[in-house]
Amino acid sequence: MLRPEINELLTETGPGTPMGELFRHYWLPALLAEELPEDDGAPVRVKILSERLIAFRDTSGRYGLMDEFCAHRGVSLWFARNEENGLRCPYHGWKYDVTGQCLEVPSEPEASNFCANVKLKSYPLVKVGDILWTYLGDPESQPPLPEYEFVHVPESQTYTSKRWQESNWLQALEGGIDSSHVSFLHSGQLNTDPLFKGSRGNDYNKGDLKPYFEVTDTPGGLFIGARRNAEEGHYYWRITPWVMPSFTMVPPRADHPVHGHIWVPIDDENCWVYTFDYHPVRPLSDDERSAMRAGHGVHSENIPGTYRPMANKDNDYLMDREAQKRNEHYSGVKGIAIQDASLQESMGPIVDRTKERLVATDTGIIKARQKLRKAVIALTDDGVVPPGVDPEHHRVRSVSVVLPHDVAFMEATAEDASVRPGVAQTTV
Amino acid sequence: MPQVVYVDPSGFRRSVDADAGDTVMTAAVRNGVPGIVGECGGHISCATCHVWLRPEYVDLSGEIGDMEEDLLDLGVAERRQTSRLGCQVVITDELDGLTVDVPPPA
Repeated sequence: MLRPEINELLTETGPGTPMGELFRHYWLPALLAEELPEDDGAPVRVKILSERLIAFRDTSGRYGLMDEFCAHRGVSLWFARNEENGLRCPYHGWKYDVTGQCLEVPSEPEASNFCANVKLKSYPLVKVGDILWTYLGDPESQPPLPEYEFVHVPESQTYTSKRWQESNWLQALEGGIDSSHVSFLHSGQLNTDPLFKGSRGNDYNKGDLKPYFEVTDTPGGLFIGARRNAEEGHYYWRITPWVMPSFTMVPPRADHPVHGHIWVPIDDENCWVYTFDYHPVRPLSDDERSAMRAGHGVHSENIPGTYRPMANKDNDYLMDREAQKRNEHYSGVKGIAIQDASLQESMGPIVDRTKERLVATDTGIIKARQKLRKAVIALTDDGVVPPGVDPEHHRVRSVSVVLPHDVAFMEATAEDASVRPGVAQTTV
Repeated sequence: MPQVVYVDPSGFRRSVDADAGDTVMTAAVRNGVPGIVGECGGHISCATCHVWLRPEYVDLSGEIGDMEEDLLDLGVAERRQTSRLGCQVVITDELDGLTVDVPPPA
């Protein structure tokens, strides 16, 4: 069980909440760059940490992210005209630039300086990789931009998608640091998915259903090691880095691109799952890229024009009981991402952790909750900058490796678990 | 043979014979002491063997480990100065007469 007050503390991220304040110390993905593809294009609604915002790209190519509602009478600026370096509210013509500054109130007398005193709340919006990142905190504490490897390798080597998940961010993150479920929920995909198959690790995954977890603290989060039996005298280790607050990487399989996620709270009952795949040293092949677009690997097939998965809670995730019986899909739901989403959404929008019954393979989850809790307390009580804010903390990799029984995984893989430009991932 | 005394929320005392090497959890589970479940079997993951030690036994009962510390912070209804997970307190001859309070059901 988790104490109810701690469940609230960790799951609520709106303005003024302790966890919301913590999230407001990080650069967070606000949109995919593809959502604002051209100057003067359509503005896009963005809800993040329970704040309703509008994003747009102006005539000069500058990105803006500001309060969704016109200061005049609260009209949504989603209806605005994006023209001549600003968003113009279609109700009475008030116009704002990318900083939220009101530039014109055309109905006012010519001598009026009224608009100079009107400014919408706004946040920075910066493209790094395929993602537009924002920072919702105090401008004085704004950290340097993210340095995750997947947004810094050449464009040909990386791919990012996103999907809407109808649950709180924390139960989604907890799935990402729980290697144990892979041997069950995703077992049907390990040898068939084009972005997973052909790895020796898959056999270890399926052969040992009782992984032992060893968790190591890092400056930015945790390394979560899941150990399974391999050949005699050896263990297969899958090492998942978690960087606070919500970045994780899945340990690699064979020479497939490496994938991971960033979970971003929309509000307390919904989150965006940003999902990336990249290869540190080679371009993604056309086949790999089209498999990702089609929702293979850890990506999802979304309803065209939206980021909602085709298989969602309104259609019972297209449950296929026959495929469940055939063991084609262990749960009957197709696709790794939707297998996770379906079960995590089924827990309810915010799972009641006072009722859960944790077991030995939940060590990573316990450690992550405690690290989050301690960071929130240190921030609230003493203003301590949380782990994962410093971009140096972003320079991690996941690892999969076979080691002799007597070798400690953290010591053996210290280099493999850091970003090494030009060096491939360590994988089995 | 060391004895462990479990005091339930109403004040009722149950005295149990333990073997050296038992833990406060295993001795309780074997003797059916109510309120101590030991669901995970002593793997420090469920916190269903939480007890409050009587203060005079705290120094004799060993250090609180890292994982135990996390679970006492997160997973028990009321952590006190003397809180321990029963599975992490190994009974020795020195601890004969060890008395613990079993918290009320959450």
